[in-house]
Amino acid sequence: MNPIPATYFDGVSARPQPVRLSLHGDRLIVDGEQVARDEPLAGLEISEPLGAAPRVVRFADGAHCEVREHAAFEQLLRAAGIEDGLVVRLQARWLWALAAVVLTVAVAFAGYYRGLPAAADWIAGRLPERLLAGMGESTLGILDEHVFEPSALPDARRAQLTRTFDRLTPPADDTPAHRIVFRDGGPIGANAFALPDGTIVVTDQLVASAEQDEEILGVLAHELGHLERRHSLRMFIQGSIVGFMVGWYLGDVSSVAAGLPTALLQARYSRGFEREADDYATQMLQLNDIPPAALAHILARMQAEMDSAHGPGGDPFRGYLNSHPATGERINRLLNAR
Amino acid sequence: MPTDTATTHTQRLAFSGKGAEYFRIWIVNIALSILTVGIYSAWAKVRRLKYFYLNTTLADSSFDFHGDPLAILKGRIIAVLLLLAYQLSSAASPRLAMAAMALLALIFPWLIVRSLRFRLYYSSHRGLRFSFRGNNRQGYVNFLLYPLLALVTAYLLAPLAHQRIKRFQHTNSWYGNTRFDFSAGSGRFFTLYLKLLGLIVLVIALAAGGTAVLFPFELANPADQGDAANARLAAYLLATLAGGYLMLFLLLAPWFSARVQNLVWNHTTLGPHRFVSDVQARRLLWIYLGNFLGILLTLGLYKPFADIRLARYRLAHIGLVPAGDLDEFMADRQQATSATGEEAADMFDFDISF
Repeated sequence: MNPIPATYFDGVSARPQPVRLSLHGDRLIVDGEQVARDEPLAGLEISEPLGAAPRVVRFADGAHCEVREHAAFEQLLRAAGIEDGLVVRLQARWLWALAAVVLTVAVAFAGYYRGLPAAADWIAGRLPERLLAGMGESTLGILDEHVFEPSALPDARRAQLTRTFDRLTPPADDTPAHRIVFRDGGPIGANAFALPDGTIVVTDQLVASAEQDEEILGVLAHELGHLERRHSLRMFIQGSIVGFMVGWYLGDVSSVAAGLPTALLQARYSRGFEREADDYATQMLQLNDIPPAALAHILARMQAEMDSAHGPGGDPFRGYLNSHPATGERINRLLNAR
Repeated sequence: MPTDTATTHTQRLAFSGKGAEYFRIWIVNIALSILTVGIYSAWAKVRRLKYFYLNTTLADSSFDFHGDPLAILKGRIIAVLLLLAYQLSSAASPRLAMAAMALLALIFPWLIVRSLRFRLYYSSHRGLRFSFRGNNRQGYVNFLLYPLLALVTAYLLAPLAHQRIKRFQHTNSWYGNTRFDFSAGSGRFFTLYLKLLGLIVLVIALAAGGTAVLFPFELANPADQGDAANARLAAYLLATLAGGYLMLFLLLAPWFSARVQNLVWNHTTLGPHRFVSDVQARRLLWIYLGNFLGILLTLGLYKPFADIRLARYRLAHIGLVPAGDLDEFMADRQQATSATGEEAADMFDFDISF
């Protein structure tokens, strides 16, 4: 085998020295004008092939050789019985690259549909009470400061609604701890939602828009369903994980694009959560001889109000990323509940 | 501008990485990282850096990266823990989040200094190691004090902070026993930021004007009253904001990045030698735009090709103008012995992109 041209650096000076490499048994011979080395190959560190990049042979004393004659050098290594590592062999073939793409996509899908919800559920069940209380208080505090006004409903009316709801039989024994608070919704209007610490917020406007109290009970049961399944907490955890992954993946390419997929990925979860909460409410209402249609009616009325406020076709911005989407579909499910 | 004779001597950086090649490395890295629940990602990072370093050539010799994957793993674990702590505390209460933020700010300079030491110490060219010798005190002044100063002056002093950080990084970097130096004063950074401000104003005006042209009836409808008019105004502002935001990122980010690279490297010297950088904002803009669309259309699979494209352009437009023989650099004997034991154990890589 012909000697292979390479460039030698002694690790002390930046001066390149042209040398020739050859194999002698299991030893590498480095031969140049001022260099003559004879080292066992086993004691050298040889860099992996990386396309056009030079292969680097590193000596224990800090000296190294850069080799750009790839074909000849590979032949030398083969002759010395040195094989490429597993990862190098994986990286060299398109077939393995394709397999890696398939695996990555499969894991991404499985992780998104199964792993992420399971992980969020697991974490949600293990967060300390103190943290949840803090989350609830701070969210309500911010809303009270910027959005809400104190409720204008008479105390008696509020107490009556709370009492009636508490007297209902929940579908499961372990009803989540909860407390109902009333607020003037201000700009958000007729609405109700549950916070991670068990607080259910109901706006005066929602109470006013109900034609029967059963409708309000339906909404409260729906929110209790969210609490039972720890939806807001899981949403928050999933959002954090998704945001982290998307941000990490896109890196600094463009942070502008990071928000959009996160929002889209979140929308699907919230649709699933609404359905779960509706199912819980259906169960609870039926258990207490209230027709689930009560919830359907108030939903339909809220939807109609929203449509009239934003003109026919609704608000274009809400269509895509609505957190209470497909209200029509939900109403049908409730009306058909048996 | 360098004269003709000088240009012939200028040693350009050359990058020989290829998208298809790097794609395979990248995707195998991701798959292995998944299979090992993220642990392999540290080894993946070493492979990635080795690919980029070894494929970068200056004066016929390649750069090399020698980083220890375990040190990178250590840094990653710290980063994940910090992020988790911040997420949880910010969920619990705004006050706790502020405290966590303050704590992070306090340890950040320390982390950055460690990370700079790591990155440079494990980089080499022609067998000589680079090193970063800035200390913690300077780290706190440049990565905490100046940014705070920028913050309390409503970013009026942001250019100064930027200049101080670059100066700190470049004047404390060494190649063997030769020191880098940095000569760009803060005045140049102020000029650059002033131009940026002008462009931002222009972009916002364009976005507002563009929205008004696209939806002329939205504002001019006399029948609008009360809530409906408010809703339309909100929609108009939102469209302006979204358009402006997109334009800021797609148009101004490459412009600014090109100008910063040129400003910084045209004022950096290594011993008697100086660097030149002539990245064109317009070319960089096309690369950013192409990469953005490519990544969007392939759901991310174009990312490795995008990384290669960007690196090739950026690197090809940096050069070294030698004032003498480049073979005469020498290793720093003292550093070679002192930086091994304790000090190296103290170093870890922390992913912060500058």
